[in-house]
Amino acid sequence: MASLMRRSVAELVGTMLLVYFGPGAAAMLLMIAARESGPLQSLTIGSLGGLADWLAIGLAFAIVITAVIYGLGRVSGAHINPAVTIALLASKRFPATDAVAYIVAQLVGALLGSYLFYLSAGMDAVTIGGLGATAPALGVTFWMAILAETIGTFVLMLIIMGVAVDERAPPGFAGLIIGLTVGGIITTIGGLTGSSLNPARSFGPAVGDLLLGGPDVMGVFPIYIIGPILGALIAVFFYDWVVKED
Amino acid sequence: MKCYICAKEGRDSDAVAICIVCGMGLCMDHAIREENDVWEGGYPFPAHKVKQRLPRILCPECAIAMKGEK
Repeated sequence: MASLMRRSVAELVGTMLLVYFGPGAAAMLLMIAARESGPLQSLTIGSLGGLADWLAIGLAFAIVITAVIYGLGRVSGAHINPAVTIALLASKRFPATDAVAYIVAQLVGALLGSYLFYLSAGMDAVTIGGLGATAPALGVTFWMAILAETIGTFVLMLIIMGVAVDERAPPGFAGLIIGLTVGGIITTIGGLTGSSLNPARSFGPAVGDLLLGGPDVMGVFPIYIIGPILGALIAVFFYDWVVKED
Repeated sequence: MKCYICAKEGRDSDAVAICIVCGMGLCMDHAIREENDVWEGGYPFPAHKVKQRLPRILCPECAIAMKGEK
């Protein structure tokens, strides 16, 4: 097995790529919409193509997650998501010391991903795109957003358990299925919460915006910690219970 | 079973192994024993090399072909 240092670097790079391409796609979409219609105050994802906007963002996430899982999955396990790491830790599948290192690496990687996107796309990525930060849509309350994030991450963790953790799962499909699952979830609940499913994915753009002068979304950041962690924990214990043979 | 390579050279020697690729019977002189790493795990856990290595017997021809040497 690779050393904890190397595995943490793999987590950092994996999360960096996730945040560069995933939230980067969301920011890019807003930048394109602003070019098409001018920098309107009410500009949101969906202005250009409705649900297709979210499908496009979902596909960007799906592809980068699939690439990271196949590219780095054997090195670190490619969690690239603190909620996944915490769920595996809580179910005694992953050691605590490794989990701490992984989570720190994921958060640093996420911030780095946002910063690299800013360097690639310029200040518009921050002021118009908000670096792809997540925030609930108008009319979606704090608790509604937590519920949506919990359900979304429940599905994500359930599929991770079924297609990867379970030894009976057919090998080789995990990356593709998990990537597509995330893409599908984003298409549906993206319009409600931004569909984070991942505290690190929300952390990078939120802190990046704070440091670079973008929109302040730190007030809603707890949604993206509570919802994903809760959803992943419920999924892991639900799966262990439901597959138990009587 | 006799060693195929020895038989082709006009000698007669008992086979002690079989090439796992082509099934050729091999004597001790012509059997090549290789050991391969075995990995366990993988997404969402890091893969790790197990202590025990996996032996395999090859004939000289298959051993060269497997390594891609000309």
